[in-house]
Amino acid sequence: MRWTLRAGLGVGLTATLAGGVPRAAVAQREADPSSIVIVTGGEASVPIPTLMEGPFASTANSDIADQLFLRLAELGPALITAGDHAFEPRLARSWTRLDSVTLVFDLDPRATWQDGVPVTAEDVAFTFDRALDPALAPRTAELLRNVVSVTAEGERRVVFRFAHPYAEQLYDAVFHVAPLPAHLLRGIPPAELARSAFVQSPVGSGPYRWVRRVPGQFVELAANERFFLGVPAIRRVFFRFAADPDARLNFVLGGEADAMDNIPPPRTNVARVTANPNLRVVTVPSPTLGFLLFNQRDPRDRERPHPILGELDVRRAIGLALDRRQMVRAVFGSAADVPYGPASPLLWIRHGTPAPARQNVREARRLLAAQGWEDHDGDGTLDRDGAPLALTLLVTTTSAIRQQMALQVQEQLRQVGIRLELDRVDFPVYTERRNAGRFDLDFAATSQDPSPTGLSQGWSCHGGTNVARYCDLMVDSLLEAASRATEGAPQAWQAVLGRIESDAPAVFLYAPSYLYVVHRRFTNLRIRPESAWMALREWTVSAPAPRRPAVY
Amino acid sequence: MRPWLLGRSLQAAITLAVAIVLLFLLVHLLPGDPLAREGDRQLTAVQLEGLRARYGLDRPLPAQLGAFLAGLARGDLGTSIEYGRPVTGLLMERLPATLLLGGTVLLLNFTIGLWLGVRQAVRKDGAEDRWLTTLSLAGYATPSFWLGLVLAWLVGIRWRLLPPAGMSDPLVTGGALSVSADLLRHLVLPALTLSIVSIAGTMRYQRSAMLETLRLPYIVTARAKGLAEDRVVWHHAWRNAVFPVLTLFGLWLPILVSGSVFVESVFAWPGLGSLAAAAVGNRDYPLLMGASVLVATMVVLASLLSDLAYALLDPRVRLS
Repeated sequence: MRWTLRAGLGVGLTATLAGGVPRAAVAQREADPSSIVIVTGGEASVPIPTLMEGPFASTANSDIADQLFLRLAELGPALITAGDHAFEPRLARSWTRLDSVTLVFDLDPRATWQDGVPVTAEDVAFTFDRALDPALAPRTAELLRNVVSVTAEGERRVVFRFAHPYAEQLYDAVFHVAPLPAHLLRGIPPAELARSAFVQSPVGSGPYRWVRRVPGQFVELAANERFFLGVPAIRRVFFRFAADPDARLNFVLGGEADAMDNIPPPRTNVARVTANPNLRVVTVPSPTLGFLLFNQRDPRDRERPHPILGELDVRRAIGLALDRRQMVRAVFGSAADVPYGPASPLLWIRHGTPAPARQNVREARRLLAAQGWEDHDGDGTLDRDGAPLALTLLVTTTSAIRQQMALQVQEQLRQVGIRLELDRVDFPVYTERRNAGRFDLDFAATSQDPSPTGLSQGWSCHGGTNVARYCDLMVDSLLEAASRATEGAPQAWQAVLGRIESDAPAVFLYAPSYLYVVHRRFTNLRIRPESAWMALREWTVSAPAPRRPAVY
Repeated sequence: MRPWLLGRSLQAAITLAVAIVLLFLLVHLLPGDPLAREGDRQLTAVQLEGLRARYGLDRPLPAQLGAFLAGLARGDLGTSIEYGRPVTGLLMERLPATLLLGGTVLLLNFTIGLWLGVRQAVRKDGAEDRWLTTLSLAGYATPSFWLGLVLAWLVGIRWRLLPPAGMSDPLVTGGALSVSADLLRHLVLPALTLSIVSIAGTMRYQRSAMLETLRLPYIVTARAKGLAEDRVVWHHAWRNAVFPVLTLFGLWLPILVSGSVFVESVFAWPGLGSLAAAAVGNRDYPLLMGASVLVATMVVLASLLSDLAYALLDPRVRLS
């Protein structure tokens, strides 16, 4: 066994090299506890306001853009988008209302770009000039459709004019776009910006500045020493990428990262995290809403109503047949609720809404029977005029949660005599079929903006993302009234939710909270639901603790 | 030799051209929309039309193919839809990681695998052969992604001996020694995962080829002449038994470029495999085509190299 001895020696030598030499490196690492490594699922490509459109509209891009570029103001903790009071000043020191369609912002004179040049009103006007151009930023331009003009008055004053009075003027002015440095970008043709050197090394006004990108691995940011609202206690931030959710969790559990944005399923992963004494779990309301969307049109001929789901009683019966609370508990534990209407935990309008209807199988059967759906042939599936009550549910294979819940939906509907086939496809195929309306039921999940006006995209007759072609003139009318309401906005929005609930264009299944993981050495944590790491500059670092149990 | 080489190169070029056209058609016939998004990030029909025109996706397929081939002739693989950057640049950024992982795996594979295969053949039916056979079959039958998950959990998290994922620790600073050691630590688990499976295959190949050779009369003659056993095995037998394994080398070489999608994913290794997997998931046609062209080129080149090695090493092939 001479060779075995040689092989053993070789392995031993390699292990010594791999294990012994890096100790020096680890020592250097532990000397800097004020750095944070955040592991995320996507790689930032274009983290620049006005460019984060279409394929670039990703959380990875906005996470980094939020560190680099400061907005005029930020939403306050209540996330109320209506009115002028629930916002916190940032680049703008204050704002005043000249009349019902004119807002004036006064910029903080201390604000500078990271190259030392002061932030001016001209920067704001320049940025909105680009953001309002549908050819450059189609989605942002659509969101800002009510902004008529943005003009600079002197060095520090910006005037926003709106098309008509409505409650979310301030929100529109500050949320969608953070100002860009006009002095650096004016010479770059707008169409060339995405390929310019600025994108590879952006200069912003935010609490962190760009340091470097290591392709496929991480982006490094460093505290902006000029930041006028106070230099952050966390001096260096690394956004590390791992597309695979298990790899992300391994990074954190293995001590190679300090924070991650959402513990992936299954739920046993939560226990793995809590078992680690260095880590804490932070529960944060999410912008996500999961629902079963009923196609209102026949997938084979979109000019005709859906032969089964066009009937209100069938849609209601499907909703009543499902024990949504039980399904949510099984999949999320206590980290999700059953929503009332299409309102994720992020939307302020969900406060004060009634409790969602509970499962009522008897009523579901009654509603179906009233429409002629009965089990005439005794095969366990309801039928009418010889046709079975059979539907397909489109679900993407990229979502473990939706696949898991789809099985429960299938089983619960089977118990009332509805046969549901699961149509599992990968994400691009899913979105293609969904957008073309080729489905009976669609297991959708949406990530909402804080503003409830986004509801009109999915639930109004001409909504741009209304793939089910749901159309109720009452809902349209209520949406219009709510989005214009300057007083009584909460009630107006709750009327919208109530009407959608009663018209049952979908079964709203889950509104989860996200479970963030953060190393315990960070304190004063504030994780924002609309942009998780936006408040990183406010975090503090407690006594330096080892990053990881020092074995290597 | 030269006409053979020219003919074989021409054949390889034609194969590559056909492969590229087929790949283009297959990639574009995949169902799915590269611009589709969900939720509030979903685009309206009008916005989608604008973006399709921007990326040339609104043109007929033959026109898109023509544009792609024209770009390819200029060395331009287009712009990634997802990253908004030239595909060539993206591929070049990821290539070093893939070459490092793939190169390490190939090195381990064709040193340890060949050596163990020869040892097994020499000790046929002995205890060592039997347990190496069992081990190699077990390694061959183990799915690499499962092995990767187990190693990441056991070695990276439970025992904390090595990093469970990534290619480098962003917080490690210092000299070349620190950085190299950090890289080495990150390389061990993914390389081990891929190697265990591939070494097992090479061992099996080498063992059978060696057994065939050891039965031949010239080996009996060599032994009868009183040559030392090591010389008989390595100088006389192995030199002939290595040819079949060269074919295997030709098959494994593309790993240098394509990496392993699953293993790169499990270990968050920033190579071409994970880039290509993301491109498939996003239907990022330009990036997917770029990665496919690179892999196809490597496969054809590897096959050519393998044939060339045969011709150089074996006069019978050269003369025929």
